[in-house]
Amino acid sequence: MGVEQLHEALGENVLTTTIGRIVGWGRANSVWPAQFGLACCAIEMMHVAGPNLDIGRFGSEAFRASPRQSDLMIVAGRVAQKMAPVLRQIYDQMPEPKWVISMGACASTGGVFNNYAIVQGVDKIVPVDVYVPGCPPRPEDLINGLMILQEKIKAQGIRPRI
Amino acid sequence: MSSLEIPGGVLERGVSAGDDWIRVPREGILAALTHLQERGYRSLCFLTAVDHLATPTVQPPAERFEVVYQLRNLASGHQLRVRVPVPESDARVPSAHRIFKPANWDERETWDLFGIVFDGHPELTRILLPDDWEGHPLRRDFPVGGEPVDFSEDHELWQTAPSEA
Amino acid sequence: MTDATIEKRQAQSGVTITRGGELGEHVGLAGEILTVNFGPQHPSTHGVLRLVVDLDGETIRRVKPVIGYLHTGIEKQAEALRWQQVVVVTDRHDYLSPLSNNLAYALAVERLMGVQAPPRAEWLRVIMCELNRLSSHLVWLGTSSIELGAMSMFMYCLRERDQILGLNEEISGYRMHTSYIRPGGVMADATPRFWELLEGFVQAMPGHIDEYEDLLTKNPIFISRMQGIGMLSGDDAIALGATGPMLRGSGISWDLRRDRPYSAYDQFQFEVATSELGDCYGRYQLRIQEMRESVRIIRQAVDGMPGGPVNLDDRKMMPPPREELETSMEAVIHHFKLFTEGYSPPPGDVYQAVESARGEHGVYLVSDGTHKPRRVKFRSASFVNLQAVEQMALGSMIADLIAIIGTADTVLGDVDR
Repeated sequence: MGVEQLHEALGENVLTTTIGRIVGWGRANSVWPAQFGLACCAIEMMHVAGPNLDIGRFGSEAFRASPRQSDLMIVAGRVAQKMAPVLRQIYDQMPEPKWVISMGACASTGGVFNNYAIVQGVDKIVPVDVYVPGCPPRPEDLINGLMILQEKIKAQGIRPRI
Repeated sequence: MSSLEIPGGVLERGVSAGDDWIRVPREGILAALTHLQERGYRSLCFLTAVDHLATPTVQPPAERFEVVYQLRNLASGHQLRVRVPVPESDARVPSAHRIFKPANWDERETWDLFGIVFDGHPELTRILLPDDWEGHPLRRDFPVGGEPVDFSEDHELWQTAPSEA
Repeated sequence: MTDATIEKRQAQSGVTITRGGELGEHVGLAGEILTVNFGPQHPSTHGVLRLVVDLDGETIRRVKPVIGYLHTGIEKQAEALRWQQVVVVTDRHDYLSPLSNNLAYALAVERLMGVQAPPRAEWLRVIMCELNRLSSHLVWLGTSSIELGAMSMFMYCLRERDQILGLNEEISGYRMHTSYIRPGGVMADATPRFWELLEGFVQAMPGHIDEYEDLLTKNPIFISRMQGIGMLSGDDAIALGATGPMLRGSGISWDLRRDRPYSAYDQFQFEVATSELGDCYGRYQLRIQEMRESVRIIRQAVDGMPGGPVNLDDRKMMPPPREELETSMEAVIHHFKLFTEGYSPPPGDVYQAVESARGEHGVYLVSDGTHKPRRVKFRSASFVNLQAVEQMALGSMIADLIAIIGTADTVLGDVDR
C-alpha cells in the first residue's frame, strides 16, 4: 500500500496533537468551582449560574459543595480575619490541579474596606490565578475571567505548577 | 414625654431630630427598662454604645462612654431612647438580657467592640471578632487599620493596628 | 427495645427517652449527644454562617450560631468617611437590599440636617425600594427552594431578578450596589427608557408570581417540608425582637411602611401581608403576597409620579449642576467645599428605621458637629432574627434546619456588618 492510499484510508479520521494539549483542553472545559461565595459577589456568581448567562456552557455548571471534588475556588466576596484560616483550609483540601479566581475588589485588594477587619487581598493567603475587578463585577466579567483562566489552563498542559 | 416618670430618676430629657430621649443613671437602668416594658415599650430595637472621646475640636460630656437603648411601643408606635453614661475607669453596666432577650447578642457585640462589661450576662464572649483578638476596635483610639494608602490626605488615619494589618 | 433496656440506657447516659408508639411519632433513642458543625462554608447556610448543632439522633437539642465570619468593620469604616461618602458602604452591608440601606441612611442624615428631599425624589425612592424588595424576595425564593430540592425555581427567580438588575442599571448605571439614594435626594432622574422597561416589567410580573405559585404552593413535597416547621408564636416573636416576615408570619401586623411611614409611603395604598400559621409555609405565603403588593405600589408610583427636581436645592449639602461650574464662582466654591470637607450636621443623634425585605433596618447616627460621623450603628434585621432561629429549631429534625434557616432569610453581611 502506498502512502497516498494510506492517506485516503485514514482521511480526516485521525488528528494528531500532544498530550499536553489534550489534557489542557479537557481540564479547561470542565472546571468545577467550589462553592465559596462569601458576600455580595456571591450573588453575582449565582447569576452566572442562572439562565441568562449560563456557566454550564463552559462546563462549569457543577458547583461542588465539597472542596475535595472541585478544581476552582472562586473567592467571591470580602474575606474577614475570622474567615481567613477557613479559606486556607478549604484551599488546602482541594486536590491538584487547582486554580483560584479572586472575584471582586474586596477579594483582590481589600476593596472599599481598608480596615482592621478585612484581609487586604486574598493573595496574602492563597495564590491567585485570575483577578476579576469590580464591585461587584458583572456576571459577564466573571465569565471573562473564567475564559482567561481557561486559556491559562490550556497553556499549562501537563506541566506541574511551580 | 415630660410626663413619663421613671423609678430611679431621670438625669435629663430631650428631643433630638424628632426622637425623644432620656438619660438615666447606671444604677437605675434595669428598673427603668422594666418600668418602660410594663408601660408597653415591649420592643428593644437595639442596644449599643457611643465613645465620646475628646478630639482637638470636640469636647466630650463628663463620661467617655454612653450605652444607648432604643425602645419602641408597638401599640402606639412611639420610640424612646434611653441613654446611660458610663465612665471609662469603670466601664460596667448591668445586663438587660432578662428583660429584653435581643439584648443578649447586642451586649456581647458591645463588649466585643467597645470593651464595656455587662454584669450578669450569661456568656460575655467575642461574637464578631476572632476569639483571640486583642483590643476593642470601635473605641475611637483604636486605629481604623488596613494598609497605608500613598498620596491620601487621610493617610495618618490608615495606620496598621498594633498587632497586625 | 424493651422497657428494661431503655431504663438501663437512660440511667447510663442521662438522656431522657420519650417513647411514642404511633406511626410517625418521634421516638428518642438512648445515646450520646452528637455535636455537629455546619459551615461556615456550607451550601445551605446562605452565607458564612456557622451553626454548632447538638443532635440526639436526628433531633436537634440545641443550635448555637457562631457568627463573625464576614465582619467587615463597616461601622468603624464609616467613622473615617465623610457624611456623603458613607452611602457607599451602606450598600454593601445588607447586600441583598442595598437601596433600603441607602434610604435608611439618607433619611437619617436628612433628619439630622433638618431638611427633606423633594417629592419626586421621594417617589423615585419608593419605586427603587419596592424593586429592591422584589429582587430580595426573588433571591430568597430561589435559594430556599433550591435547598429543598426545587432547582427550577432558582432559574425562574434569577430570570426576573436579571430584569430588575437591568432596571437598576438603567437608572443608576450599576446593577447591584447603586448608591442611588443619597442624603438630599437621589443620584439622577430616571431616563425615558427606564419608564418603558418598568412598564413592561410591572405588566409581566404578576404573571410570573403566578408561575411561582403554580410550582410551589400546592406542591405536596413543598407543603410537607414547610408546614409545621419552624413554629414561632406571636409573643415569642415580639419577645425575641423579630421583625419583618418573621414577625408578620406569627400574626402580628406590624410594618414600618404603614405604622411609622417614611418617605412618601403614606401616600400609597397597600395591604400588609400577615399569616396566622406561624410556620415556614405561612411565611412563604406572606412573602409571595408582599411581592404582589410591591408590584401594586410600583404601579401606583408610576401612575402618580410628581414632577420637579430630584435633589435638594441646598448648595451646602448637594453639589451644583456641572454646567454651573463654568459660569458661577459661588458654584465652584460650593463644589470645592463639599468634595473636600463636606457638610456638618449639628450635634445630636437620630434613629431612622425602614422596612427592608428582611425586617426593620435602622441606622443610628451620632453627630458631634464635624464633617465625619461620631458613631454609625446599623440595626440589622438579620442579627436579631437569627436569635429567633435558635428557638425555632429546637426539637425539629436536622433536615428541617435548612428550611428554618431559609425562612429566616438572614443575610450574613447584615448580621456581621
